[in-house]
Amino acid sequence: MPKLKIDLEVNNRKISKETDAHKRLLDFLRDDLNLTGTKEGCGAGECGTCSVFVDGKLVKSCLMPVAKASGAKIETIEGLADPGSLTPMQKAFHKTGASQCGYCIPGMVMAATSALRENPKADIEEIKERLGGNICRCTGYTKIFEAVELAKAVIAGDMPEEALNEEEVGKSYIGHNVRRLDAPSKVSGRLRYAADMKMHDMLQMQVLRSPHPHAKIVSIDTSEAEAMDGVVCVITSDDVPEQTDGFGVFVHDQPIMARGKVRHVGEAVAAVAAEDLVIARKALSKIKVVYEELPGVYDPEDAMKKGAAVVHDYAPDNIVKHIPVRKGDVDTGFANADLILEDEFSTQQVEHAYLEPEAGIAYVDADDVVVVISPSQNITHHRHMLSHILGLPINKVRFIMSPVGGGFGGKEDMIYQGMLAVVAMKTHRPVQLNFTREESIIASAKRHPSRTHYKMGLKWNGEITAIQFSMISDGGAYGMSSEGVMRKAAILSCGPYEVHNLSVDTTAVYTNNTPSGAFRTFGGMQAQFATESMMDMAAEALGMDPFEIRRINMMKIGSKTHTQHKLTAASLDRCLDAAETESRWEKGTPNVRGDKRSDLGGDDTRAPCTLGARFTNGKNTNEERVA
Amino acid sequence: MLTCDTYHLPTTLRSALELWSKAPEGSRLVSGATDILPWAREGRAGDVHIPSFVDVTRVAEFEGHSVAHGRIRLGANVVYQDFLTDGVLKHLLPCMPYCAIWFADDQIREQATLAGNLANASPVADGTPAVAALNGVVELARLENGEIKTRNFTVSDFILGPGRTVLQSGEIISSVSLDALAGYGGSFQKVGQRRSLVISIACCAALVKADSTGRVFDDVRLALGGVGPRPIRLNAVESRLRGEKISRRTINSAAQLAADEVASRSRQEYRRSVVIGFVKAGIEEALENQSDVDVKFEELENA
Repeated sequence: MPKLKIDLEVNNRKISKETDAHKRLLDFLRDDLNLTGTKEGCGAGECGTCSVFVDGKLVKSCLMPVAKASGAKIETIEGLADPGSLTPMQKAFHKTGASQCGYCIPGMVMAATSALRENPKADIEEIKERLGGNICRCTGYTKIFEAVELAKAVIAGDMPEEALNEEEVGKSYIGHNVRRLDAPSKVSGRLRYAADMKMHDMLQMQVLRSPHPHAKIVSIDTSEAEAMDGVVCVITSDDVPEQTDGFGVFVHDQPIMARGKVRHVGEAVAAVAAEDLVIARKALSKIKVVYEELPGVYDPEDAMKKGAAVVHDYAPDNIVKHIPVRKGDVDTGFANADLILEDEFSTQQVEHAYLEPEAGIAYVDADDVVVVISPSQNITHHRHMLSHILGLPINKVRFIMSPVGGGFGGKEDMIYQGMLAVVAMKTHRPVQLNFTREESIIASAKRHPSRTHYKMGLKWNGEITAIQFSMISDGGAYGMSSEGVMRKAAILSCGPYEVHNLSVDTTAVYTNNTPSGAFRTFGGMQAQFATESMMDMAAEALGMDPFEIRRINMMKIGSKTHTQHKLTAASLDRCLDAAETESRWEKGTPNVRGDKRSDLGGDDTRAPCTLGARFTNGKNTNEERVA
Repeated sequence: MLTCDTYHLPTTLRSALELWSKAPEGSRLVSGATDILPWAREGRAGDVHIPSFVDVTRVAEFEGHSVAHGRIRLGANVVYQDFLTDGVLKHLLPCMPYCAIWFADDQIREQATLAGNLANASPVADGTPAVAALNGVVELARLENGEIKTRNFTVSDFILGPGRTVLQSGEIISSVSLDALAGYGGSFQKVGQRRSLVISIACCAALVKADSTGRVFDDVRLALGGVGPRPIRLNAVESRLRGEKISRRTINSAAQLAADEVASRSRQEYRRSVVIGFVKAGIEEALENQSDVDVKFEELENA
């Protein structure tokens, strides 16, 4: 690699170093200086996990070639406070609980620090605007903004420094603000996620992924890649025992790497381990794969038709799982209804977009234990599956869970840990794989796209007499968590309402789309979207208040759930009361008042988003635009 | 992933031009570099190897700005954040702070230059309509027999189409000159998929000057972005309004003319309805932002 001499100052330390000419400031800080508090979340300037000060101005270090920083003064998260101490901003993040997974937090602290350096008097709207280049997926930003406002007040002397200390516990921990134990490690950037870890003599892995949604693998020629200088090994499914290959949360239908055919775009086909990332990426382009494209299925309803292409031989009907729930008698229920409503609801595929892309390290220790370090949300299950696949006793496989930089269900699947283990066993060297953001999006599971056909029978008084609920979900190419998601969707299908006659079917179907898996709510969201929409539409049709129709049907103590569980506690009445009060709901059907309703504005409602809070002429404020 | 053999940081225009004219085939000129790094990634250009980068951000001649004869000359290194922080720029280019606040985010604005935004010639660049409304002229420098020569183009002549400009090999944007419009009110309308860090689907820059009574349009400047391959100056709307009494009715009827200018290849109907709203809001907000005059709408006076 062509080299470049870089002289600069980082956290008040003079640095003079030769480095690769193409490196970004982010790479230089992380790889050459081991300052891993600066994270890489997207590599495209979108997320702000890599924010650093360059000559006093906050920039995104993933968008800055390191050459540009030569001669500059750099300040990173590690340089904000002296070792062992925290700045008021960091303390405020600790105090308010502003860190959750923590992966965005170093960048967020940097942006917050910059906001107050630029304008120590910035109001909340300006603070939000100045943090606009940093994304968080866990906290919802509320705690972060609280932290910045607290730090602002302390720095300005409007509040004493003690305001940053932990509050004393009163009579009870319930309702008490307890500081998170791990927050200091996150606000200081000291916590190491898998991509921040380094081991001596470690290889870098890159993965060749399928460009086709459904294709037979005719041949894979890795010889040219293997012959390259710096390439240590190339693996394919040939390196995994065929008889035991297969993982998944419920059904073990997914090979460590595509075996015989690929089932979705982005499926791993081969992996290279090399002395560095640049060589590994170059080697990928030297692997020759001959594919023979197969007809695919891209819509779950098409996939269930006779004669549709089959994704997995074991499931010729392409059904991953069908969950039926029956209670009472729907025919009688509909016969007793005064009004029957029918509609279709669909939801889309959603990416988790945790700030930390998948990353992991594997090595074989001196006792021949294969060790995998990764932000896996399911290490015990992964350990069992991998020991079975590799034919190793369970005590020769160890999984270490690195800090999870956001998961939301998306890190439950063992989509790369197997490849790392195979390379470690083949080379007896530590090996690391860090996904790019694009790779994370293309290869990880998504929220199930769903289509629900809904039929609801009601009496004129609002009482539900029967529900027929049928949901088809696109499971994508592999089973992953589909079975569990279908179970949860079925159990929660008709919502927190007591329905005496119901017929529920949820079905996940194989297609050649990106696999669907676990995602916050685990099937609940798709079902509740349909049910709660249906409740509002029923309220409209019956001329009722939407709270009223819910109170009439809600589960109470003694109610039987859809799966015949008798409830000994229920709180929906209190939830509805609180929601009605807090939203200042005006009684009546939802559709009759139009722009006359007065419960849509007010103090605690969010004004439409606009920018320009920092302009001081006051003519363009949010309030005036809303008015 | 972006890799390269050499990365140059020339400090004078002459050395930049020399390096650039001798750079091997496939080399790239960079300024803020905020577009090229995201470009060289999966799903876009993929892994790219560039023989040589010539980075112009340390060229002394490209620094700062100067004012003469009613025009302001911005050196090629003026970044978007300068439009929010530099008092002279805020005063003389009243639409630019509003344009800048919608451009990327504070951190990217510290790096991204106006000249680089124009050079990329994206049909959805935020800078092009604002520059068109300011009668912007782009100055290109090149070496000819060892001498530095320049050519000048209006921004709409400079941009030939999506990603294409009149820049020839060896040429570098050295400055952008704009009308200095102290006393005007400015505004910028933009719609994208979300608020921060988003490319426009459509945008509109407006500059308005009401006369000293606040009742008559002395001047109106409007330009649209995102609705065609190049920025579109709304000459018909402007001439309909100049000299007219300021009223909502006049603004509404003039705004209808804007829809006819929409020539983008996708989402035409959507963009047509958006630009009518943009022109109306753009003019009204620019009037509000004209700080020295209290604008009086005809209808409100008669009401």
